[in-house]
Amino acid sequence: MSLLSDPEAAIADLSRPEKWVLGVSAAFALFLLAALLTGALGPTYFLFLVGLAGMYALLSFGLNAQWGYTGLINFSVAAFFGIGAYGSALMTADSSPIAGGFNPLVGLVVALVLAFVLALLIGIPTLRLRADYLAIASLGLAEVVRLIVLNERWLTNGSAGVRGIPSFFEGWPVLSTFPETMPGLRLVVIPGSPILLETSFWRASLNVLLVLAFAGATFLVLRRAHQSPWGRVLRTIRSDEDLARALGKNTYSFKMQSFVLGSLIMALAGVFYTHLNLYVGPGDLDPITTFYAWVAVILGGSGSNRGALFGGIVIVTIREGTRFLNDVALPIDPAPLRLLLIGVVIVAVMRYRPQGILPPQRELIWPSAVDDAGSDPPASGVREQKGGGDDE
Amino acid sequence: MSEGALPKEDAVLRVDDLQKSFGGLAATDHATFAVERGTITGLIGPNGAGKSTLFNLISGFYEPDGGTVEVNGTDVTGLEPYEVADHGLIRTFQTPRKLEGMTVREAMLVGPRNQPGESFVKLFATPGAVAESESTNLAEAERILEEFEIDHLAAQPATDISGGQMKLVELARAMLAEPEVLLLDEPVAGVNPTLAKKLKDQIRRLNEQGTTFLLIEHDMEFVMDLADPIVVLDQGSVLTEGTPEGVRSDDRVIDAYLGGGT
Amino acid sequence: MTVLGYLANGLVFSSIIVLGSIGLSLVYSIADFANFAHGDTMTVGAYAALVTFGAVGGLGGAVLGLPYGFFLALVVGIAVAAVVAVGTEKLVYEPLDIDSIGLLITSIGIAFIYRAVIQIRFGSDFTRYGIQPLRPIEALVPYGVRVTLHDVAIVGSAVVLVAGLHVLLQYTDLGRKMRAMADNPDLARVSGIRTKRVKLWTWVIGAGLAGAGGVFLGLFNQLSPRMGFNLLLVIFAAVILGGIGSVYGAMAGGFLIGMINQLTPFFSGVVDSLPIWPGWLNAALESLVSIEYANAIAFVIMVAVLLVRPNGIAGEGAT
Repeated sequence: MSLLSDPEAAIADLSRPEKWVLGVSAAFALFLLAALLTGALGPTYFLFLVGLAGMYALLSFGLNAQWGYTGLINFSVAAFFGIGAYGSALMTADSSPIAGGFNPLVGLVVALVLAFVLALLIGIPTLRLRADYLAIASLGLAEVVRLIVLNERWLTNGSAGVRGIPSFFEGWPVLSTFPETMPGLRLVVIPGSPILLETSFWRASLNVLLVLAFAGATFLVLRRAHQSPWGRVLRTIRSDEDLARALGKNTYSFKMQSFVLGSLIMALAGVFYTHLNLYVGPGDLDPITTFYAWVAVILGGSGSNRGALFGGIVIVTIREGTRFLNDVALPIDPAPLRLLLIGVVIVAVMRYRPQGILPPQRELIWPSAVDDAGSDPPASGVREQKGGGDDE
Repeated sequence: MSEGALPKEDAVLRVDDLQKSFGGLAATDHATFAVERGTITGLIGPNGAGKSTLFNLISGFYEPDGGTVEVNGTDVTGLEPYEVADHGLIRTFQTPRKLEGMTVREAMLVGPRNQPGESFVKLFATPGAVAESESTNLAEAERILEEFEIDHLAAQPATDISGGQMKLVELARAMLAEPEVLLLDEPVAGVNPTLAKKLKDQIRRLNEQGTTFLLIEHDMEFVMDLADPIVVLDQGSVLTEGTPEGVRSDDRVIDAYLGGGT
Repeated sequence: MTVLGYLANGLVFSSIIVLGSIGLSLVYSIADFANFAHGDTMTVGAYAALVTFGAVGGLGGAVLGLPYGFFLALVVGIAVAAVVAVGTEKLVYEPLDIDSIGLLITSIGIAFIYRAVIQIRFGSDFTRYGIQPLRPIEALVPYGVRVTLHDVAIVGSAVVLVAGLHVLLQYTDLGRKMRAMADNPDLARVSGIRTKRVKLWTWVIGAGLAGAGGVFLGLFNQLSPRMGFNLLLVIFAAVILGGIGSVYGAMAGGFLIGMINQLTPFFSGVVDSLPIWPGWLNAALESLVSIEYANAIAFVIMVAVLLVRPNGIAGEGAT
């Protein structure tokens, strides 16, 4: 809001990394716009990328609610993503070996219930463990989940995966037929390279709508939770669990809540992926997905929701940028290049900016309480302190 | 063995025959004592006497091998620390870790127990009640910070204040949890004399307002001036207990400190 | 195959796991973090040996079906793994100003970098050393044991390396310091041990053994850029089973986990023949105790150990 009414002041108020991120984002947006207008980037593919970015942002939100808030080292992100994807795919797809053909909303609910159960199954034994043991144990249990998905063909189709998945809006009034009923548009911005907006474009825009709805709702829930006393207990546990216990907080219960909440968000990302990709396979449970989410969170800034959003966009840039590079410039297999970039980013962040690029900076107190108490607005407290010394 | 085991009429904390050993070594060896309501009770003893272990046993961080702990007449033996806290026993730590990414004000607000806003469901079901309790707590936190004369620190990042200031914040935060008995683990260790004096005054003031204290402290000057009675621990059990003067002149205490033990 | 056959396979696989788990356990306690790049250090060793063997060839004679050149490649694999690990310690871990959790996360980045470099250079396909696969030793086949001379070489070399480590730990000054540091790093520091130097040697020894494990893993199965990462969790399971910081525990844990892993088909047969009631439990057990879940079984054992005895099966119980 303030950005619109008084852009100069709003920009001057930003810290240096914030300006930096804003600048890079603006440049990147301009670059994409130029690519779109010249026809170098197809609009449907662009929307697919936006959907993917939203999906990684959701995954990062989920991990942020566990690692960023509470300090839980969850290396089973891929398992929750996969259980969300498989849960909805198995309920809705034609080729589902068990149920199939249900409304995608049923799939959504089933996926979330499955993720809830899995979160309890993994959380109950591991959340009492030391932080580094939790890392090892959760990676191991995620691998168990992957092996089950791969081998229990009667349940999951095994390595063949699940095909024939409907779009999320199948069976909805208006929206289910929206892509077909919209007219094909032909935009000519630059003569000679028209931009075609056809059924696939409208279908992709529905997906973007869906991921915006998922991510928006998640963001609102997380923002409220993060600045509440609930979130404050989680942040205390991250720094000093014994202190929280001594002050009368049932830390095991709080850790479980944080773990379940994050896991449900990851499953939501999986549900979206199912209806975006229209195919799921055991490869989607590969641990690399876990570490994509990790890079997004630590790069963006652990505990920072906007950082997670930023990290999600960076991940898509790495994923699709390496593919693009392989197509046009360097004939390097994109898979190891991605792996290399991910590795380098992890090491570089831990070396030069362990708090991430956009660490949470604002004081987090329930907003209306600050007004009621009539104290000076603390919204700028930490920022002012950090403004001078912390910007490197 | 010690006269301290005599029953006290109004004990807010009662430790009876508490035992704990690690790998066959008894760290707490049949310790028995009580903390009378309204006192500042000191817990002293040479290094390795088992003071910290005793604190961890009382506050639920360790599970005792035998014996009982009673808070306000309720048996809390074997309960989780948060359950012990719910009975009115709050403790602080010798070396508090800094709360990253929080201001002092936020760190204070962790103190109040059972806030409605600590329930995830209530954040969305009854946001009004959450806001109300949050503003009450915020006002209370600022009042206590003022009383402690550290209200100027409220907006500082909790990671940026000195160790001594952190000890003050810890004490102030513990008060927000409304303890009936507050266990302080070396409240002035590593604190400069000015701040130590301030801490002493605050503890005395809070005691006059009704809070009972049990404190471990190595600074003899500090503890003899502040606490009465004093419980002396040696090799995991209570050696003696009495007034500062009585303890000071007790030969057994001197022997224990000189390393003679028994 | 007979029980004896499975046990023989288990022995070979265990040798590889033991070589991996010793280093992981040492680094875990002395450098004080869970090194997720340890599996990929094994991969580094294996590919260094692949390159060396490709370059030098057989060098004339052979021992246990393995040309002399392969043993040279083994030594190079050990050396390269050690050099890479020490370089990483000096360039990355040492300058970092973060806690053990930060180091753990960093080590994942390191793991990816190792693997990515190998994959860019060698591709992601499976490959083998240019050594003719051998037939099982004839004399043992009647007993249901199908091991090759190569397998004997793996076990023999592992025994030599482990015995060497034992001598080092028990009878040298460095070994005593390492044990002291693994046991209680803080105490070691205050008692005047030059911890930095000991730490560096820990990396050399830990990564060197991992490199050897990687070379043998390539001989036992095949080489691929993921070979080490895929084995990492099994090795963690072994380390946790044996108790972090205990070298001899890691040996025992590695032996047990390797055996359990290779004996899974045998257990599967046992489950099939047992009359388990009710029927659904029987069906569930039959499908879960199978070769596909050999690794999963190790992970579940690991989580169970973490819960019940976080200090390992031989360590002190949790308080």
